[in-house]
Amino acid sequence: MTITDCSQSSGQPDDMRCEVAIVGSGCGGATVARVLAEAGRDVLLIEEGGDFVGPQRLTQRDLSMYDQLYADRGARTTADRTISVLSGRVLGGGGVINACDVVPVHEAIWRYWHTIHGLQQWSPQAMAPFVARALQDLSATAITQDQVNRNNQILRQGAQAMGYTGELMHHNRQGCVGLGTCLIGCPLGAKRNPRMVAIPKAITAGARVLVRAKVVQISAADRPDKTLLVRALDPKGYHETSTFRVQAKRIVLAAGPVGTTTILAASGLGNDRLGRGLSLQPQVAVVAQMPDIVNAFDGIPQSFALTQFERNDEKTGLGGYRIESIFGTPGILGSLVVQPGIEGKAAMAALPYVAACLVLVPDEPVGQIGQTWSGRPRIDYTLSEEWKTRARAAVKTAMRCFLAAGARQVMVASAPPLVVHSEKELAQVDGLSFAPASIGLISAHQQGGTPISARPDAGVCDPDGQLWGTPGVYVCDGGLFPTSSSTHTMAPILTLGHFLGAKWAATWGKT
Amino acid sequence: MELVTRRRLVGAALLSGGALGAAALGLQLLREKAPPVAGLRVLSAAQHRTMALVALTHIPPGGPFGWSAADVDVAGLFDQFLADQPASDQRDAGVALDLVDLGPLMFERRWTTFTALTPDQRLAHWQAWSVAPQATRREIWQSLARFTGMAVYDQPGAWPHIGYRGPSLARRTGPEQGP
Ligand SMILES: Cc1cc2nc3c(=O)[nH]c(=O)nc-3n(C[C@H](O)[C@H](O)[C@H](O)COP(=O)(O)OP(=O)(O)OC[C@H]3O[C@@H](n4cnc5c(N)ncnc54)[C@H](O)[C@@H]3O)c2cc1C
Ligand code: SF4
Repeated sequence: MTITDCSQSSGQPDDMRCEVAIVGSGCGGATVARVLAEAGRDVLLIEEGGDFVGPQRLTQRDLSMYDQLYADRGARTTADRTISVLSGRVLGGGGVINACDVVPVHEAIWRYWHTIHGLQQWSPQAMAPFVARALQDLSATAITQDQVNRNNQILRQGAQAMGYTGELMHHNRQGCVGLGTCLIGCPLGAKRNPRMVAIPKAITAGARVLVRAKVVQISAADRPDKTLLVRALDPKGYHETSTFRVQAKRIVLAAGPVGTTTILAASGLGNDRLGRGLSLQPQVAVVAQMPDIVNAFDGIPQSFALTQFERNDEKTGLGGYRIESIFGTPGILGSLVVQPGIEGKAAMAALPYVAACLVLVPDEPVGQIGQTWSGRPRIDYTLSEEWKTRARAAVKTAMRCFLAAGARQVMVASAPPLVVHSEKELAQVDGLSFAPASIGLISAHQQGGTPISARPDAGVCDPDGQLWGTPGVYVCDGGLFPTSSSTHTMAPILTLGHFLGAKWAATWGKT
Repeated sequence: MELVTRRRLVGAALLSGGALGAAALGLQLLREKAPPVAGLRVLSAAQHRTMALVALTHIPPGGPFGWSAADVDVAGLFDQFLADQPASDQRDAGVALDLVDLGPLMFERRWTTFTALTPDQRLAHWQAWSVAPQATRREIWQSLARFTGMAVYDQPGAWPHIGYRGPSLARRTGPEQGP
């Protein structure tokens, strides 16, 4: 497989030419690279992260893996430090470090975009073949009963006791042995992610791939031959070592909402909607102290989802909330402890008895991606009152489930921690203020920033994914969604990749 | 990692008023000189000392198990981390640590520094940062607490105490094939 590592002296490229330069190798970029390469296009895929495959590189250790596999070394947050904004920075993008849950866009949401947002091509019927291709890439199957670990069983039992509906999720693992470190990469390669599926196929079809190559700017965007300014990075991806240029007839930005917006802003491209309409889908962790050993470290981290309160509405879009079990590895769990001193150590010592879940609360696209004075991304996001109300309801539901499953106490890691022992103490949740930097929220599903729209005054890209007003520059990542697509974004973005890739392959004139 | 925004830091410094700011400056000159630390790339010796004491306060020896921030060079790891961050982050982190050290004076009007407090006083002071009325202090708390937790619990020495049996692939395949 030919992947050129620009951090190696042998990989230091001279200036290059191609027909299509694709920036970012996640679910969007890798899928488009594959579709276009298989259609005979001359494709160059450019990725700023490194290539991490196998146990030598994917070490299951938090410090080094968050450092190497995540954007901003795992430390990216909103400007007020309330929300950890997690995304992949590795060949294969977020698919390498995600939790493997496969939740395609609900038909009601396609209808919502089709009718309310006027996206004529996005009807459930028109999208069905592309959804099918995405699911095929993912080898999506239902998680089986024997793969459900104790942590997930507890949430499920609690939900059943409360009479709430839920389901075992679909996932994209094959040959999974339940190592449990999905969020810092699977050393066995059991994830059917872009690194394992689309990228090898793209290369077989002739695509060239660069890693440790960071695109910083597009110039000559108005000319037939556009230029990308690219910096080669050092082996750890920390520092820029040299600069080269790539000339391309067409550019597809697939660097994720934050990455794509940053490149466009640095290039002076995009209209005044650029960076706006950002949805972060903030998630809240709820932790339960159980009377018996849980050992949540082992096994697939997320398999059960409580779906009763999810709302896919063709008039209002995605709403409600969803609850899923979760666990992590020691470093990341240690980083989330909010009690300093001996109390925090006691919380860590009790981990074998801990069950945990995330409440996933879809949001309105109210955030904005901008730049700091030093030109780095700045994410501004204010939690809406409506979101806070829904999040409190979701936290209460999660707590009820854990209490019904026998939890001695349930907690939200706010400062100070919110601890509840019984149904009658649940009213305390109403006091959860979500004040900036008083609680650690997580965003794993950023969308928007470069939304598709039927009119230029309502979004950044036209319905073909092309930048309004800049022919030849396209976007294909989570940034395109005008509103939240699903509670999980991998399958939706793969669907977009197939849809736009097929359209571009068919309509772009041959060069 | 943009630890805290420059605007907020300036805001926090102003919060305490000009007179206190001047006092803080005086105290900074007066505070006991930190012993030199070899190999620091970003932090000053005083900032390194503050970070080490923040870590030790956050995860102290004793309690349910012995493993603590005393077993890990958290301040050294923080310095290493910062060395590969943009210059603006390096500066912000330094200012944040100085602010923590001057915290007792600036926010509690006590004529002393964080590093000069007793361990119990330090814990009480550090805890107050997590719920402080100023968002900047909470932001700094979140940043330093998260880094400390990650650094201390990522180490194999911590794992037996928290029920973690180590990277699972190594357990399954034997150490020669593991990480
Ligand atoms: C921890 C976590 C868990 C998740 N779990 C799930 C899940 O279980 N199910 C689910 O459906 N979704 C999940 N997601 C979300 C999903 O993985 C992502 O939404 C999806 O992978 C994003 O795809 P993308 O193509 O939009 O962008 P990304 O995957 O983010 O790809 C963008 C790529 O562009 C690269 N890049 C950025 N800037 C540049 C530049 N200037 N030059 C060159 N390259 C650049 C980045 O390094 C990155 O690799 C999770 C995400 C995270 C972070
Ligand atoms: S549970 Fe383990 S084996 Fe399965 S995908 Fe995750 S890391 Fe890989």
